[in-house]
Amino acid sequence: MIWKTAWKNVWRNRVRSLVVIASVTIGIFAGVFAVAFMNGMIVQRFDAAIDEEISHIQITGKDYILNNDPQIMIAGEDDIIPAISGLYGVNGMVQRTLVTGMAATASKSAGVQIVGIVPEKEKEIFSLYKKIIPGTGDYFERESKYDLALIGQDLAKELNIIRFVIDSAILKKLENQKVPAEILDKISVISGKRFPNEKKFISTVTSILSKSELREYGQLIKKEAWSFRENSRMTLTFLDKDNNQVSAVFRIAGIYDIKNAMFEQVQVFIKKDVLCRLTGIDENSFHQLIIRLNDVNQTVGITNEIRTRLPGLDVRNWKELQPDLAMMTDYVHQIYGLFMGIILAALAFGIINTMLMVVLERTKELGMLAAIGMNKRRIFSMIMLESVFLSLIGGVVGMIFGWLSVLLSAKNGINFAQYAEGMEAFGYSAHIFPEISLSFFILITILIIITGIASSVYPALKALRLDPAEAIRTE
Amino acid sequence: MKILELKDVNKIYNSSEIKVHAVDGVTLEFQEAEFAAIVGPSGSGKTTLLNLIGGLDMPTTGKIIIDGTDLSKLKSSQLIDFRMRNIGFVFQAYNLIPVLTAKENVEFIMNLQKWSRKERDERTFELLKAVGLFERANSRPAKMSGGQQQRVAVARALASRPKFVLADEPTANLDSKSASTLLEIMEKLNHEEKITFIFSTHDARVVKMAHRVITLEDGKVISDDIRE
Repeated sequence: MIWKTAWKNVWRNRVRSLVVIASVTIGIFAGVFAVAFMNGMIVQRFDAAIDEEISHIQITGKDYILNNDPQIMIAGEDDIIPAISGLYGVNGMVQRTLVTGMAATASKSAGVQIVGIVPEKEKEIFSLYKKIIPGTGDYFERESKYDLALIGQDLAKELNIIRFVIDSAILKKLENQKVPAEILDKISVISGKRFPNEKKFISTVTSILSKSELREYGQLIKKEAWSFRENSRMTLTFLDKDNNQVSAVFRIAGIYDIKNAMFEQVQVFIKKDVLCRLTGIDENSFHQLIIRLNDVNQTVGITNEIRTRLPGLDVRNWKELQPDLAMMTDYVHQIYGLFMGIILAALAFGIINTMLMVVLERTKELGMLAAIGMNKRRIFSMIMLESVFLSLIGGVVGMIFGWLSVLLSAKNGINFAQYAEGMEAFGYSAHIFPEISLSFFILITILIIITGIASSVYPALKALRLDPAEAIRTE
Repeated sequence: MKILELKDVNKIYNSSEIKVHAVDGVTLEFQEAEFAAIVGPSGSGKTTLLNLIGGLDMPTTGKIIIDGTDLSKLKSSQLIDFRMRNIGFVFQAYNLIPVLTAKENVEFIMNLQKWSRKERDERTFELLKAVGLFERANSRPAKMSGGQQQRVAVARALASRPKFVLADEPTANLDSKSASTLLEIMEKLNHEEKITFIFSTHDARVVKMAHRVITLEDGKVISDDIRE
């Protein structure tokens, strides 16, 4: 009876209840979506860091990271590999040789880190091979008489390897993609002109098209005008093991795009045996041994085990290599909790206000209920249930909307292309796929119920303090 | 059989520096199946006396004994439970629960007392028939007239077969026809259910039908007439 009466009381003032429910719905929806969005960003960043950049654990010679001294190498891999490969939880490992140097084209140069890799082994650990921009080459599959290199999109831009061209073929492509004729007419004035970099191209197109046209078709035009000539040449200059300067010409057999400008600007991949040949480094030696685990949760345990087994080497896991990412993943749940806590606290005040109004309006009725024998526990329960119903209806509807919005937006992602430069500078993709876990939904449901109960305490106590004889006389 | 006894009951309100002697040395007894009216001018202490009898307020001095239980000996929670089981209330402004139907209002106390569904249904329909509202069992108070609402309130007061029903000016908000109908119903139920009715009233029609009329003035009983 208490449940039934409380439920009916919720709908006594339909408009007021609907306003409260709507505010709870909007709050929870916004909270769920915002958390899913943040979570998507962090998960994507984490996956990218592990799958494309650092993997789970890296082993280097003692003080290599501190001094960045190419002479500090790990020799005698035969002793090290068995020490690790037998460890439970290790999925695979790969060796890398590293030198710093300069990359140069005919027009530009840039400082880079040259990473010597064994492409077929690298594919077992990293998914960089999946991030090669189509049409730029097939570095991981190709054998060539030339020395090949894989570079990042940002370095390619920096070295003017990527160009922007509008020609009749591009105009035709744009026409097929339903770009209006008037826009095609406007951009046809730059047909045949080659822009050495993105900045100059964008500046020219911006002067031709209006803001709304740019907003609508700018990205598409840029994408189609993007041009790269496969096998472009690039010179890499670095020091060999005896500190002599070495230069070699490489053909670019792929441009990767991992949405991390810092990484893309610096990391140039060439074959390990080529780097060893050019530097004179022993092919059996390497600077880095990179380990991939089956389960990220085993990272700390396996790191400690490797440290015990290989005391003379520097063993670092992803948390130590990227402490900012570690902090994000370690505290992410607290951040979500705080975020949702603030939203729920705001909602709680709304519910308290509403329930205080309810108690004030129903003073006479509450007095009557106390007079005819409804005890304090039941009156308290009734007020509490009304708050919980209000919170739960709004909360559940908000979660359904939140879940649907996450589901829909996760399908194609949310693309903040206009902020891509800024986001990618910090290693975050501008194309975000929101995601949220079931456990988060369960947590939110529990928090909503707790909020409903907590919000009811003060109004319910007010109701309990009513003197039935006086309350009945209230007009 | 004596069901209610007031022994030298006093109620003094201390408001700032003024002492108000709302009930002054009242001693009364009520028997089973009485139909009694408490009359007196405004401010004579009728409502205060009913509140004291109903356990909604506690006397400053004196004792109120219901069916052998001294109300002053009960703790707050026991008093609420005691009221639920022994006293029915009818208020001037009906005070039904607006979100519940007539049937749900009548069975509300039975629900609190955890009666079985069958018992509740039988008693509810019996009372709704007795007050002539069987057909309106599923109507909400807002859809009923004042007289009909007060009849539902009477049915609710009688639902759990209390020792007595306290009615504070039950006809004050009713037109004469509704008031007459209500009084006839209450008298009939008083007779059939053997439940004592104690009214506070200004209404001459109520006074006329009452079997006993207690007159209060300045909180004191100045007359107690029992009619045959």
